[in-house]
Amino acid sequence: MEHYTMNLTLKVWRQKNTDAQGKFETYPVSGISSEMSFLEMFDVLNERLINEGKEPIAFDHDCREGICGACSMHINGRAHGPWAGTTTCQLHMRAFKDGDTVTVEPWRAGSFPVVKDLTVDRGAFDRIIEAGGYVSVNTGNAQDANNILVPKDKADAAFAAAACIGCGACVAACKNSSAMLFVSAKVSQLALLPQGQPEKKSRALNMIAQMDKEGFGSCTNTGACEAECPKEISLTNIARLNREYIAAGLSYEK
Amino acid sequence: MKWSQFFNTSIGKKLLVGATGLFLCSFVIVHLTGNLSLLKDDGGEAFNIYAAFMSHNPFVQFLAWGLKIIIVLHAILALQLTFRNRAARPVKYAINPGNQTSSWFSRQMAIMGSILLIFILIHLKDFWYLMHYGDLQSVTYGGEEYKNLYSAVYMAFKELWLVVLYVIGMIGLSFHLVHGFKSAFQTFGLNHVKYNGLINFVGVWLFGILIPVGFAIIPVVIYFKSI
Repeated sequence: MEHYTMNLTLKVWRQKNTDAQGKFETYPVSGISSEMSFLEMFDVLNERLINEGKEPIAFDHDCREGICGACSMHINGRAHGPWAGTTTCQLHMRAFKDGDTVTVEPWRAGSFPVVKDLTVDRGAFDRIIEAGGYVSVNTGNAQDANNILVPKDKADAAFAAAACIGCGACVAACKNSSAMLFVSAKVSQLALLPQGQPEKKSRALNMIAQMDKEGFGSCTNTGACEAECPKEISLTNIARLNREYIAAGLSYEK
Repeated sequence: MKWSQFFNTSIGKKLLVGATGLFLCSFVIVHLTGNLSLLKDDGGEAFNIYAAFMSHNPFVQFLAWGLKIIIVLHAILALQLTFRNRAARPVKYAINPGNQTSSWFSRQMAIMGSILLIFILIHLKDFWYLMHYGDLQSVTYGGEEYKNLYSAVYMAFKELWLVVLYVIGMIGLSFHLVHGFKSAFQTFGLNHVKYNGLINFVGVWLFGILIPVGFAIIPVVIYFKSI
């Protein structure tokens, strides 16, 4: 792909802290390489802001290789920008052309309060995992690897669900700020495997209870989460979560 | 888990919305089958006998009241979920993805449902109230006296504005069911490559097109017969 440089107008959400009133600030950026990542473009802008003695834009980032899920940016109305199956760090500037205006917002959800600028607190996801997204294992020697047989198709489906990096794009993309895709991936990766069976019922019920408690909306099956998920987690996981809920809710004695 | 807890979570409420919704889907099939007798060229005999059966048979009466309760339950729960969903995003986005990430129909469920609810209230007032408590002429078939709802329907649909209102109501029904029918199956956890195509096909073609068009044809034909 041919390399080019571009000038852009950035409209970025600036918010001092959780309680402050935020607003959009406009920043012209010039000489941006089409081979830069979106975050590198922000690095260039922040470098300039620091040199000018201004406050740099706060944004989350960590691995910059598409596997940590930190880089939460809502770019021109799309979670992680216009490319499918891509995190913001893997979005390259060749997705834009010279003269474009790019609007960057934080994830918008009551359950993800803005910490500063584009940084949001996704602690709600941690609390959902704490409510049941685990298997209890006794300490001691690990047993033989092939003691527990796992069918290949089940292993593949569990692995596909386990690809969820907890980035929150599903919540950001959903018109209801629903966390169902996240919770369904975390429930599915365990429900599909033999190791997940003992705590199957309490897991589904407790994680859903926590999800509701955190104030996420409910799922209306629009499919926006699946379309925006950088790990392309399937809606079939949400159907599985619903089945887990029905099965557990109708039979769990507690 | 207690029943009250089971139906009080976000998924529990959605299960009720889905189940009541599918019951209402089955109702529209029955309702359309009966109503199409309005277009029969028999001066209203088939329709009036059908209407009398529907308003006197005890089993049908039981279902009819159940139906009204189910409509109310469906509407209240769906609105409750909708308000909760709106509240889950206190600060809105400046730019929304629109149709890039989801279908337009899937995002209009509350609006279309509200149009439909208003339509149902008007429709009940127009004909159900008239049949049960209103003043209708009578007509005799084979020595038995029947209320002539048929002629009242034909009188009502001489008014163009009422015909337009009914067509709008049916557009609401169509757009609501294009997403609603298949969405209920997903809520029940029934998402399977082998059946998704069929569910989608029935949702779009039967409930999204055939049935609403079938209903809408009735006032339109009656109107054109009258001019």
